[in-house]
Amino acid sequence: MSALGDLRAVFDWRSLAVLRRNNKVYLRNWRTAFFPPAMEPVVMFLSLGIGLGGFVSISGYGGVSYASYLAPGLMAYTAFTTPFFEGLYSAYVRMFYQKTWNGLLATQLEMRHIVWGEILWTGLRGAMNVIAVALVLLAFDLFGVIAIDTRFLFVAPPLAFVSGCAFGAFALIFTAIVPSIDHMNYPTFLVGIPLGLVSDTYFPIDPQHPALAMLADLNPIRHLARLYRALLLGHDSPGMHLLKLSVSTAVCLVVFSVLAHRQIRRRVLSE
Amino acid sequence: MTAPRPSEAPALEARGLVKSYGDKRVVDGLSLTLRSGSVLGLLGPNGAGKTTTLRMLYGFLEPEAGTICYGGRSFFDHRSETKRLIGVCTQEDTLDHDFSVRQNLEVYATYFRPRVENLARRVEELIERFQLGPFASHRVDALSGGYRQRLMLARALIHSPRVLFLDEPTTGLDPRARIDAWKLIDAVRSEGIAVILTTHYMDEAERLSDELVVLSEGKSIGEGKPGEVIGNLLGEHVVVVKGEARAVARTFAKERSLSSEDVLDELRLPVSARDLATLSERLNGVEFEIRKPNLEDLFLRLSEKKGPTS
Repeated sequence: MSALGDLRAVFDWRSLAVLRRNNKVYLRNWRTAFFPPAMEPVVMFLSLGIGLGGFVSISGYGGVSYASYLAPGLMAYTAFTTPFFEGLYSAYVRMFYQKTWNGLLATQLEMRHIVWGEILWTGLRGAMNVIAVALVLLAFDLFGVIAIDTRFLFVAPPLAFVSGCAFGAFALIFTAIVPSIDHMNYPTFLVGIPLGLVSDTYFPIDPQHPALAMLADLNPIRHLARLYRALLLGHDSPGMHLLKLSVSTAVCLVVFSVLAHRQIRRRVLSE
Repeated sequence: MTAPRPSEAPALEARGLVKSYGDKRVVDGLSLTLRSGSVLGLLGPNGAGKTTTLRMLYGFLEPEAGTICYGGRSFFDHRSETKRLIGVCTQEDTLDHDFSVRQNLEVYATYFRPRVENLARRVEELIERFQLGPFASHRVDALSGGYRQRLMLARALIHSPRVLFLDEPTTGLDPRARIDAWKLIDAVRSEGIAVILTTHYMDEAERLSDELVVLSEGKSIGEGKPGEVIGNLLGEHVVVVKGEARAVARTFAKERSLSSEDVLDELRLPVSARDLATLSERLNGVEFEIRKPNLEDLFLRLSEKKGPTS
């Protein structure tokens, strides 16, 4: 099983069959699957942006309110957390408890198609939740609570989809190696949440140490937050952020998906 | 000798399959042949390598060595096309519990190319044939074990495969549901589909299998028609002795290096016709039973070699 063969399988009809399957399940349970997770960033926005934001001023962004500063960051954070947790918990349930993958492997599908189907699905889920957040931000903008350039909200979901695939692939590596679902606390609290915090979502981070600066540059969430912010607040040119996001997402997607394929194959197929 | 034409080739032919987990060789040089319209039973105690063999044959696991051909074509060279011809009913419940019975069939069909023709009609046909009609809109969780097994079978047949794998298809079912499953399997065979079946149930293996392969520690220790396999591995007769006379039979077994089994209050001793004559003399005046050996005797023999099963 070559890594190149694994990567090429993203375009295979069988990977899309897995994506369609997960989407069908989601649409069947959409009320419970959509509203509660989509509410989380809204609550965060209300508590931090509107609530705490009244006591906070942010410099270097043309005098915008903290709520306006936070709005694009929360979209980026949603684009990260939704695929990350989908790749951790939901994929684990399908792999271990429901034995869905074992059923799929008894058809024309191979492990590489299942992994890609899951990665694409995590990206799509991220994009869906970003749409929900974008709609809420649009409403707040209309009522004058925040001031953002809403014309650019439509580019948020496609960007969330692509970067979400990288975040989902990252999560699948942990899904393949944790001994039980209880151990998901390690990637959740030691990796996911800290990574979200150091990503320019809630506050700007500009590390001065070269090593830390390089690490920060590898983090696609940070570039996504900066790109959303540049588009919605208009204080900065989005070109460089888009370039950095593209490069870091591409590198992460390739590296994480190759590792995810390898680890999942080891776990499920004992290879 | 010329190579057989595809139409004459066995539905499935495997040669020299090997698979290890760590240092343990789970399947060790196994070969088997399956013809269209026949049922091949894979029999053996827990850990004999049945499920691993099946998983290699349908492509879930990669063998370390060996060849697998379907209809004379190498599985490794024509993997995707070959998998289109295979239906699998796994040992564990792999049904999609998020979907209804009908959706399970519809969605499963999307995992095959070329697409299933007239899918809606095919789904209805299978729902009717497997008597799933009253539950067609119900979720899988609402089904009893027997009906779940029916759905697993129906799902494995949705794309009209030529070879069907059944991994312990009646485990956990009540007697009525088992008999129903047997009828369905028998009907599948009569359609010309080649079936390969693993089971723990001796009566099931005897009733359903045209040929048997008996596995022990990953190796085939006997193959052929069920009666022949039993005869070859156990001998012509089984003497069943109860009470005090068991000690006599046990001593006889030790002298002749024969394997005997204690089952509750009886001792079962497979013997040849010649040994039977000698043993009968020793048991003079004691009541004992002579019967033909069956797969249960064989299974007990294999389990004894391996040790207690879980």
